[in-house]
Amino acid sequence: MTVVPEEKLAQRQAIVESGWGWPYRFLQPHNVAFWVYLLGVGGGALTMLRYFGQAASFYTPALAGGVVLFALYLVPWLLLLRHHNRFTKQPAGLLATGFIWGGVAATFWIALPANTALLSIWAKIGGTSFAADWGAGLTAPINEEWGKALGLVLLIGLAPRLVRSAYDGFIIGAFIGLGFQVFEDLLYVYNGATQLYGVDQLGSSLRVFVTRGAAGIVSHALFSAIFCAGLMWVLGRSGERKVLRGVLTMLMAMFFHFAWDDMGGLAGGSWLIAVLPFAIAVIELVALFYVLRHAARQERFWMRELLGPEVTAGVIDPALLDAVSGLRKDRKKYRKHLHSRSKARHLLEAAGDLAEEIARAGGADSPGVAHARAELLRVR
Amino acid sequence: MAADTGQAPEGWVPVEHRWLGLDRRTFAAGFTALAVALLLIYGFQGLNAAIPWHNEIRAGQVLDLGDGATAVPPVGWQLEHGTLTGGAGAAPTSLQILLASGGATIEIDGTTYDGSADAFLDQVLRSEGDTANVSGSRGSLTTDSGLVGVVESSTGPSGDAIDVAFKMAVGTTESVDAAPALLVRVRTAAGQFERYQDEVAALLRSITPGATR
Repeated sequence: MTVVPEEKLAQRQAIVESGWGWPYRFLQPHNVAFWVYLLGVGGGALTMLRYFGQAASFYTPALAGGVVLFALYLVPWLLLLRHHNRFTKQPAGLLATGFIWGGVAATFWIALPANTALLSIWAKIGGTSFAADWGAGLTAPINEEWGKALGLVLLIGLAPRLVRSAYDGFIIGAFIGLGFQVFEDLLYVYNGATQLYGVDQLGSSLRVFVTRGAAGIVSHALFSAIFCAGLMWVLGRSGERKVLRGVLTMLMAMFFHFAWDDMGGLAGGSWLIAVLPFAIAVIELVALFYVLRHAARQERFWMRELLGPEVTAGVIDPALLDAVSGLRKDRKKYRKHLHSRSKARHLLEAAGDLAEEIARAGGADSPGVAHARAELLRVR
Repeated sequence: MAADTGQAPEGWVPVEHRWLGLDRRTFAAGFTALAVALLLIYGFQGLNAAIPWHNEIRAGQVLDLGDGATAVPPVGWQLEHGTLTGGAGAAPTSLQILLASGGATIEIDGTTYDGSADAFLDQVLRSEGDTANVSGSRGSLTTDSGLVGVVESSTGPSGDAIDVAFKMAVGTTESVDAAPALLVRVRTAAGQFERYQDEVAALLRSITPGATR
């Protein structure tokens, strides 16, 4: 009888629980989530074509300018989110599926008709002044946060083994939110140009890009990352359900969205309007990193369990394990420990590669694991 | 002899989980997302359709056109978008007001435009391309406060339409060209404009620029 060492068992447990290494497949005709996803994106695409198609030829300069500017805007965002897609990282295909849901389905299939209706309801109930002051903040956090989060629910249906922890929700939520943000920005570019009846279209695109781009730093990607991390805590898919924490986290994201959209109403026409954007942005960023730290706990634990046998085998030293399964301050400490930024970066990446290969091989030895191990030893 | 179970093909669904070719294990996520999406899309639209407007213009109420500019709306019409004076305040260059009565609507939009009211109306019509309506002649209109607007009416199978463009200032050509632009659009069913003519004319005459202009 073969005795499996305890740490090897823990490693396999971490691989099973995290789902890391499972392939992501979008085309799943037997899966209801796949058909609902197609319905949402298809419906959104049709609405989008109808919306922009009405006068697209006249507003081509504005739309083309908006597409180019916001495509460039995406680059630093994708680099930032790629950096945070660490620990048991999500496949690119899954993240792209979330991005498209956020951009096409959540924006055009859900938010556009739902927001129009709810804004009208607020005007009917409270009058047009009330709707002007508070309508946006009482509408978008409901329709848009839930509309985006449905993308996460569908991804749970499409990849149940891959979407497990609050950190998965955080990263996927950020991608869904980013998709929503960029497509909504294009909507603003178009609306801005129509508001001016086509005068100075490129200038109008540029103005929207500057204002929306700056506001976007603490906008949909942030709201959705927080909201979806909260939703994952409520669902408790990694085994530990934290309903209260999850609900409070989701409400916090909705409150941030409300505060951002109704800043004018909150300031009440006073000097506060000049201070509020910065104050809210700071509070949002502090909350974001707080949620990130808590959401990462489970993933960090899995990472430690996954690489545990490699420490025993002497491939990874404890300091590297702390860094690769740690937070920013742990990686900084490791850089100081090695006195070399580039060497630390190489070792951290190599350790991450090894963890990924181990997960992909289900904890067994494979040519991929052997190669990743050899690479780690080479750069050490 | 133990049977070799082999590797399940990709996408294989065990028989006990199948229903009409679908995997029942995916129902929870798929149908929950569908139900919430439909609730957001059609639930709010249904609720909106069920709630009537109760925002009728009363005598003495005045529309806020931003920066002190005003207009007197017709009594009894529903204010569906926009604010009255003393309310939340309005920006003259991103103004959107919608009044409705029966099948008729009056839309008042404010924007920036550098040039005359005539050129502004040309730009508006150019941005909308060719319409099915038959274009009428262009004339001018002077409000009680001395603002000069450019009027163009049209009629067609989709209804009667009147577009009036203003530059919200009186004085030198330079100051008028630099002032915000205001577009008033009246839409009624075909042949129905005459019913609303007096109310529309009173609204147009009442448009007053801000004191600073």
